[in-house]
Amino acid sequence: MKNETVIDAHNVSRIYNPDTIPVYAVNNVHLHLNKGEFTALVGPSGSGKTTLLNLIGGLDRPDSGNILINDVDITKLSSNQLITFRLNHIGFVFQSYNLIPVLTARENVEMIMQLQKISRKDRDARITQLFEEVQLSDKMNSRPSELSGGQQQRVAVARALASKPKFVLADEPTANLDTKSASNLLDIMAKLNKEEQITFLFSTHDQRVIERARRVITLVDGKIASDTLPTNTA
Amino acid sequence: MAWRNIWRNKARSIIIMLSIMLGLFSALAVVSIYKGMMRARVRTVIDREVGHLQLHHPRFKEDYLAEFILPEGSGLEMINKMPGVKATTRRTVTTGMLSTATGSSGITIYGVVPDEEKVISQLDKTIAEGQYFSSEIRNPVLIGKKLAKKMKLNLKSKLVLMFTDSTNTMVSAAFRVASIYESENSSLDERIVYVSRESLNSLLGIGTAAHEVVVLLHHDEELDHMMTAMKNKFPALKIESWEDLSPETELMVDTVNQYAYIMLTIIMLALAFGIVNTMLMAILERTRELGMLLALGMNKVKLFFLIFSETVFLTLAGCPFGLVLSWFAIDHFNRNGMNLSIFGDEMMSSFGFSTFVYPEFPFDKVIGMLFIVVATALLSSLLPAIKALRLRPVEALRK
Repeated sequence: MKNETVIDAHNVSRIYNPDTIPVYAVNNVHLHLNKGEFTALVGPSGSGKTTLLNLIGGLDRPDSGNILINDVDITKLSSNQLITFRLNHIGFVFQSYNLIPVLTARENVEMIMQLQKISRKDRDARITQLFEEVQLSDKMNSRPSELSGGQQQRVAVARALASKPKFVLADEPTANLDTKSASNLLDIMAKLNKEEQITFLFSTHDQRVIERARRVITLVDGKIASDTLPTNTA
Repeated sequence: MAWRNIWRNKARSIIIMLSIMLGLFSALAVVSIYKGMMRARVRTVIDREVGHLQLHHPRFKEDYLAEFILPEGSGLEMINKMPGVKATTRRTVTTGMLSTATGSSGITIYGVVPDEEKVISQLDKTIAEGQYFSSEIRNPVLIGKKLAKKMKLNLKSKLVLMFTDSTNTMVSAAFRVASIYESENSSLDERIVYVSRESLNSLLGIGTAAHEVVVLLHHDEELDHMMTAMKNKFPALKIESWEDLSPETELMVDTVNQYAYIMLTIIMLALAFGIVNTMLMAILERTRELGMLLALGMNKVKLFFLIFSETVFLTLAGCPFGLVLSWFAIDHFNRNGMNLSIFGDEMMSSFGFSTFVYPEFPFDKVIGMLFIVVATALLSSLLPAIKALRLRPVEALRK
């Protein structure tokens, strides 16, 4: 099967304080991810993991280089075009869940589909499917404050997948979770990766995530220090 | 989501709703008090001072000369038979000096028919001391409280009135203070004295003539129609409405309206600062969440309306309470009166205002007031909403 490119980053750099004391948060990085990869981005604190995720996710703009997502150069998109692009192509999972506290778990997930103007019938079907996948069908109507950390992060995964993105970026997704919740979350993401060919790219310090990844990219001082190639792209 | 966001911080939302409610209440209260004051002032001018309209010899008001009397036998005596006319009276008016052993003061002397004045100007109801045109006193004169104080006059004090008669000869006559009146207009109290028309006419040498006819109508709305009818019937006379006779009242109405707008502007500015400050706090607290919404794909128009709608909901919730509160408060004071003497009896009375005001709910201005309050609230929410739009997701998510 021919590999389908999802992320293609060339010579990407992000420099903070360019006019005073330049700090290369990301320094001339090349990155290529195919569909269905389950990749961990590792490295010490300050190595540029989150910055690189933000650049790939279109939350920040590189000072140089190009980032192609599904053959679209997102560095050329306007601010508004980027918002629409993120909505339709990228799923995000944040370290601290970032669910909207006034909405129920179901409404947090449904909001993304409402932004996409998906019909109510299709939304209902997708929500049912997503909550089954993250094993929270019985918690759909709970507010985030009524859920444990692990449950909230699973809702965040369901929200990230609601728009049927090509890939999911997860910034330290297990950092705030206990071992059992982290393991459960990783099982769910691995299953979605395997069964639905969703590409996952994690930034992490967590050895549990690194052990489950099929490709591990190590960043040091904003540069890729090592890249263990995928052993299996499912 | 906007509606639920409102209740995330109940205290803050209640403060905004209270601000909007009090903003609307204050706006309506200010307008209703001014309206009540102006209505009372206009009523005082019509019912206590000049009537609805007056007729004079065309030259009388140039120098208030006694010779410019109204022509007799020209049908003036028939005015009170005209439809719409409630009452009329004929007055003799002259200017002169009031002298006592200790000093003198310039005054205007009104020769009046006491019984007719009871209906036209309710002069008898303003008596603070003594008896209204007491028959026990020879040559009785009614003087204002302010003039009495200035000239150190008491009941039964003797004074001399000096003026020129119809032949421009100086005449003087002694009068005794029969009563001291206190109207709502202290400046008039200081310069107007009342004597009987019979006495004054005799001194002026004008027989039974008069200088002015005062006409009181049944309804204010009939004024324009009656002015036209009078002008047609008495083309040789000068006919003036209360607005012509009391231009300062008209000016005062305009001035007070301007004050009302200044007060409204101050109230609305206070409301705007309150809303801007509170909503900015709400944005600041939710920076991370708003950044997350932008990151997930909520476009800026939707984000703008999310913030904007929160203020809309708070405004829509606050306005009805403000209206209800205003209605009950204004209705209460409309029935019971509002004592404004804490702002100074002297000051109020020097402008011709009673210290007791009966605010009137400004039905004609409610829509306008609502519009101003809602517009202020919505405009105030623009700044926080625009601030939210300027958030960069990558920075907001770090907060």
